[in-house]
Amino acid sequence: MNIPNRHTADIFEWLSKGKFICSNSVEDSSRKLYTVIEENFDDLYHYFMAIGFVLEKGDEYFYFSRTEARATLENKIEQAYRWIDVVDFFTAFNNGFAPGFRFTPSDIMVQVKIDASLKDKLEIMKRLTGDGSYSDRISTLVEKQLVAPGYAELENEITMQYKVLTSFNYIKQLIVSIQIQEEIVHEIPE
Amino acid sequence: MSYLLSLKELVNTLYWARDLLVEMFEKRKSFAYKYDDAAEIMGEDKLEILINKQLLRRNGPYVEIDDQFQQFFEQVLEVNEEINTSYINENIQQVKQHIVYYLQENNEHRRYSYLKQVKGALRKIGRITLRNVIDLNRNIENTFKTEPNYGIKIAKLESLDEKRRAVYNLIEQTDHLITDEELTFFTTAMDEELKQVVGLLRGQLTESRHNLIETQKQVIEYLNQVKYHSRVQEKIKQVKYLKDQFELKAKTNLAELMQQKNDVVFESRPAYPLKLSLDLLHTDEGNQSVRKVADKLKQAKRPSMAVAESIASDDLLPQTEEEIYIDLEEIRNGFTASGRHLYNYIMQYNYPREVSYEEKITIFCQMVSMYEQDFVIKEAYQDDGTVEYAVVLPR
Repeated sequence: MNIPNRHTADIFEWLSKGKFICSNSVEDSSRKLYTVIEENFDDLYHYFMAIGFVLEKGDEYFYFSRTEARATLENKIEQAYRWIDVVDFFTAFNNGFAPGFRFTPSDIMVQVKIDASLKDKLEIMKRLTGDGSYSDRISTLVEKQLVAPGYAELENEITMQYKVLTSFNYIKQLIVSIQIQEEIVHEIPE
Repeated sequence: MSYLLSLKELVNTLYWARDLLVEMFEKRKSFAYKYDDAAEIMGEDKLEILINKQLLRRNGPYVEIDDQFQQFFEQVLEVNEEINTSYINENIQQVKQHIVYYLQENNEHRRYSYLKQVKGALRKIGRITLRNVIDLNRNIENTFKTEPNYGIKIAKLESLDEKRRAVYNLIEQTDHLITDEELTFFTTAMDEELKQVVGLLRGQLTESRHNLIETQKQVIEYLNQVKYHSRVQEKIKQVKYLKDQFELKAKTNLAELMQQKNDVVFESRPAYPLKLSLDLLHTDEGNQSVRKVADKLKQAKRPSMAVAESIASDDLLPQTEEEIYIDLEEIRNGFTASGRHLYNYIMQYNYPREVSYEEKITIFCQMVSMYEQDFVIKEAYQDDGTVEYAVVLPR
């Protein structure tokens, strides 16, 4: 079988770690990979399929899935729980928290100081953030839950400005696709 | 009442105040203009004149261009933000009235002046309609992109959509007016100029209509996007609520959904440990790598040898230690002379120091092994209650 092109190794390296390749990445190299995949989607799809990975196309991002489960159901649910907390926290911080949104940890800090419910949410997430000052916890949260899995990238090191990537839609989409039983929806307070 | 006596005065005033007016007009949206700043540009006396003539209006520490003039500038320069449908409506009414007057009037001269007014109004309608459509487009886009509050955003977009419908209605009305409604007027009074005006107006109306269709698409898409976004937000809140109530798994299809997902994201980060290629290690390159690693492994700091302290001079002086020595030879000599058996002799012997029972037994054994030739070891055994011993006699 022909290797489709010289970027295949990079693509595999990146995606096999469970990361995403996004169209609005800060890194040129990553955006380049996005274009490469987009142009050679079919070839790459078949290529990766042969080694047990399914190349999946999301809304402006690519990721890998598998044909059979490798992670246990409990682990997956636990992960989903974490995401719900994280997404809820960041959308509570700003309604417009979506791909392309830019923020700095200090913006969040300011909001946490004036918004009691946001502070509460941060308190509850101690398991993810660890102990420490609020600003430490926010930085940990941003680094561990957004940057490490590839939902955001540091855009400006001096101002500590982060940019939300298109892959954030992945978790949002996941939450949207959770179906709540009809009668339960009415029980949830506004 | 106007404070300007003539048009000439107005134009002159505008001319000499042009720097300030331009500056203020450009900044009209960004911030309130300070009186002091204005005085820097114009000088306070001139500024007072402008205020007296009601071109400017003083508002506490600020000055602003009088609303009437601001609107005038905006309209002439076609930069107005407001979409004013009533203005077009008014013009349509005016056209209708003038047409009625025209048809009723017999005096040729007056008829001509009505006709002129109709033409003017029609021209205005075309221009304003097109302008409105452009403004509408821009406003919609601005609202969608900049309004941070979702509730207000939806409300604003909906009101703009309402305006779009109003503009559309007016276009229809105007179209109806020039084609069907006032057929008599447009056939009797049609001269070359009116034909041109109507032609131009029709063109503008068509253009506006096409633009409006596009606008409608845009608004609907924007509204959908905004609503989708708020729905997502709503959903996140609901899911979060259920999660906090520990009901998420029971009341949603989460488990099922997760069962279907086999995304690599859920797996723990894999590491791919690979064995070294032995062939590579035989090459020069491999050798270099080995050296590199060896260098890394080498400890940079050697642990210094522990140096003992110097020996104190006292310790170098000879010392004598006294020990009381039990002379086995002497015991043997005594024993040979005594005629008793060895065990008895050793137990009774007068030692130079205190000797314990165990030591005495040890001495017994030592004597037997050392001077075996000098003794006769009998086959008879005796017992002292603790140990059993052979009877040993001197030879």
